[in-house]
Amino acid sequence: MSAAAERLSRSRRSRATLQRGRLVPLWMLLLGAAVVAVIGGFPVVAGTDSYILLLLGKFLCYAIFALSIDLIWGFTGILSLGQAVYFGIGAYFVALSLKINYALDHPTRYGNKFPDFMEWNGLKALPHFMEPLVSTPFAVACALIVPTALAFIFGVITFKRHIYGVYCAVITLAESLILQEFIIEYQAYTGGFNGITDYSNYLGIPFLWFMLAVTIAFFLIARVLTHSRIGTVLKSIRDNDLRAQFMGYNVANYRIFVFCVSAFMSAAAGAMYAAWVGIISYLDTGPVFSVEGVIWTAVGGRATLIGPFLGAFLVKGLEFLLSGVLAAFWQLLVGLLFIFVVLVMPDGIVGSIAHWLRRHRKGTLTQLREEQDLLAHDREHDWQPAGVPRSGEESV
Amino acid sequence: MTQALISQILIGVSVTAILVISAIGLAVIFGVAGVINMAHGQFIMVGAYTAAVIGKMGGNTFVAIPVSFVVVALLGLAVERGVIRWIYDRPLETLLATWGVGIILEVVMKLIFGPELYYVGAPKVLAGSVHLVGRLPYPYYRLFLIVVAILMVAATFYLIFRTDFGLKVRAVRRNRAMSGCLGIDTAKIDMMIFMFGSGLAGIAGAVLAPIKSVSTTMGFRYAVDSYMTIVLGGVGNLWGVPTGGGLIGEGETLLAYKFNSVIGELLVFIFIVIAIRVFPRGIFGYQERR
Amino acid sequence: MALLEVKGLTTRVSGYTILDNLDFSVEENELRVLLGPNGAGKTTLIAMITGQFRPTAGKIHFAGQDITGWSPDAIFLAGISRKFQVPNMYETLSVYDNVMVSLQSDRKVFKYMFKGVTAAEDERIWEILDFVELAGKASDPADTLAHGERQWLEMGMLIASNPKLLLLDEPTTGMTPDGKQRTAALIQKIARNHTVLLVEHDMHLVRQIARKVTVLHQGQVLAEGALDEVVSNKTVREVYLGKGKRH
Repeated sequence: MSAAAERLSRSRRSRATLQRGRLVPLWMLLLGAAVVAVIGGFPVVAGTDSYILLLLGKFLCYAIFALSIDLIWGFTGILSLGQAVYFGIGAYFVALSLKINYALDHPTRYGNKFPDFMEWNGLKALPHFMEPLVSTPFAVACALIVPTALAFIFGVITFKRHIYGVYCAVITLAESLILQEFIIEYQAYTGGFNGITDYSNYLGIPFLWFMLAVTIAFFLIARVLTHSRIGTVLKSIRDNDLRAQFMGYNVANYRIFVFCVSAFMSAAAGAMYAAWVGIISYLDTGPVFSVEGVIWTAVGGRATLIGPFLGAFLVKGLEFLLSGVLAAFWQLLVGLLFIFVVLVMPDGIVGSIAHWLRRHRKGTLTQLREEQDLLAHDREHDWQPAGVPRSGEESV
Repeated sequence: MTQALISQILIGVSVTAILVISAIGLAVIFGVAGVINMAHGQFIMVGAYTAAVIGKMGGNTFVAIPVSFVVVALLGLAVERGVIRWIYDRPLETLLATWGVGIILEVVMKLIFGPELYYVGAPKVLAGSVHLVGRLPYPYYRLFLIVVAILMVAATFYLIFRTDFGLKVRAVRRNRAMSGCLGIDTAKIDMMIFMFGSGLAGIAGAVLAPIKSVSTTMGFRYAVDSYMTIVLGGVGNLWGVPTGGGLIGEGETLLAYKFNSVIGELLVFIFIVIAIRVFPRGIFGYQERR
Repeated sequence: MALLEVKGLTTRVSGYTILDNLDFSVEENELRVLLGPNGAGKTTLIAMITGQFRPTAGKIHFAGQDITGWSPDAIFLAGISRKFQVPNMYETLSVYDNVMVSLQSDRKVFKYMFKGVTAAEDERIWEILDFVELAGKASDPADTLAHGERQWLEMGMLIASNPKLLLLDEPTTGMTPDGKQRTAALIQKIARNHTVLLVEHDMHLVRQIARKVTVLHQGQVLAEGALDEVVSNKTVREVYLGKGKRH
């Protein structure tokens, strides 16, 4: 081997780790720290102005929800238009539990110690199957486990038969709609149209910090997952599941796995949301909310993990700012946003920035190219890489 | 069988008709171009509003049908040229983009027509009902819907299997690349099929308007039902839509009679999810691997 | 026993018989070329072997195991890798990642959850990238490669998976003559340590590398043997060139 080739292979080995990048690059760490500081510190500094505090907490829940969608859609290519199902079930478990406990301490006008909406609907007492929900820890456990189990069952039924793409999207849409209708129909148990309201919630700085910690934890989990080999496998399934399957990957199992992780995250977000906001309704379980989550991820940038945060913040922020103006105007904007993001900016904001940076940065690629040119130069003159004959030579 | 049961089955037939009417336009587009129009419900809604306008101007449903066809077909043309034509190769993105189109349509229609409900009456000719089973009345309009459903399927069949245009459509569906090489303008075929499918949605709107009231949000339900019909029935064959519609229509009606409508929907949904394990692309879908 | 043995393989789809009671085998370390006119069943045979479709009848044995009806990922783990006619890779992933994800491993979900690439694996990836001359483009996404490079990338991915049997379905489609030459040489090098079943149309290429050749026609084996024998076989010439023509 010539000297150039030796140099080449040695430097390659050291570049290999650079290719993968570090788990948490410095810029991500700094950005994350800044965001955490702002969110965690703002209410302390600015006083507990309830509305801003409420929004910050809501934002964290939305961000986790969008993050979970990024995992299955951005990385694995599963478009689910029904992620709100898991968010909603998580939320309802916690809301019911808190409401039941609230009712115990605040009897209704007629002296009943169970939720008022049940009384309005003619129930005489708390339904038996809801009694275990008095224990809030139990309700939280249900809030996390039931949606994940549901996701697992759904995954096994659909992914094992290679039902994905448009079919999966449409089925999850229907699933979401049916859950919504279920909640409306069985209003005696769920509060129906009005949802579950008037229960003590956890609005306050300590809980905000708790939610912040959970958000950071989920982000790190998602980062570790997608940064490791399994992240690349998921992307390969997204890009060409046929090739992945014929390369030995049980595509169904990987899809089920990431779908369950995503459902778990959505459920946790929903559970926290219910505890934080103090109101929950069928709207939080339906297709509209599901699609909102998808659009936040699309706007922010798919498969970027930060994109969902940015998208949720921007879109929800814009909605908050424009809510004073004509509601119709905002809706129009949302519709145009869908079309814009798909046609003009499919990589989302963060994705487009990343693309731009990659093109303009002199990195591993350019350096390797230069070295490869060196190699080609050597080859032209007398040196030959092992095994592959030059063109024109007859091979035996 | 009790009279009530027979009566429910007959109602199921008209529900099937409604599903077929809603879904056929979507099925045609999805079968040929592989895209699902998430604004399909809003297309139906625009067709219904067209019928409402025609009604206000003195016309009736029979007049509204061709007018709605044209209006929504033109709308479909605009959407296809403006949005969909760029993303045929990305069906999931089309879902999102057309969802946006749907939102815009709802907002625009609400701005034009306001939030009130409109009532479109059935033509006087079709008023009243007939006594099919005992003393239970079966409205003429439901029979009319069944006729319309059959006619729509027949018309689509004729178009796809008995015309030159239909031949090209079938060629494109079978082998897009080869058809292109043989001189068929596949982009134009996609566009025309999208227009045709949209027009069918318009007819659906015109014909379904008298059933309930017309509002800007009426379409979503029809759209989801259409998607489910296609998922179950498949789009490889025109029989898919009536079959899917029939199973869902009868299933939901009978189960709703036994329990309630939400449970009926849930059970039918579960049935569909299990059924597509056996028929991953629908009962009449193209064969997939394994 | 042969490495790959196919017995009585029959496939009927929509009334058409694509493979008709086919008997076929490949010995270990062979480089076998599969020939046949269009529609003879070559790609279908490969599809059957790799588990893409279930045969209507017949059995497939590989390394002593009956793999008939196995799923594609299980068949891969048994040691068979397939190169598709149209280059199939992960478009947005970099060249490096394409090879990385194809490296031999047990493919289980939880095994690689928090792991990256070991130094030894990294070495191997670069070795393969060198081999297919794509080292300079390691960071480029796969969809920016030229057609010939894509074919080679897919070959690199297959080599990374370290299979016992490589099924190559027309790997030189769309290549320049120079590219075809180099691919032929690459295949020969691969064939030194693996068993290769190659489907090809380019007779010049086949002449260069083939030892034993199998000709399929209408779902059955028409002829089998050394290239020269098969080429001078009267029936083969008729099937390829038509009856009543002067050859």
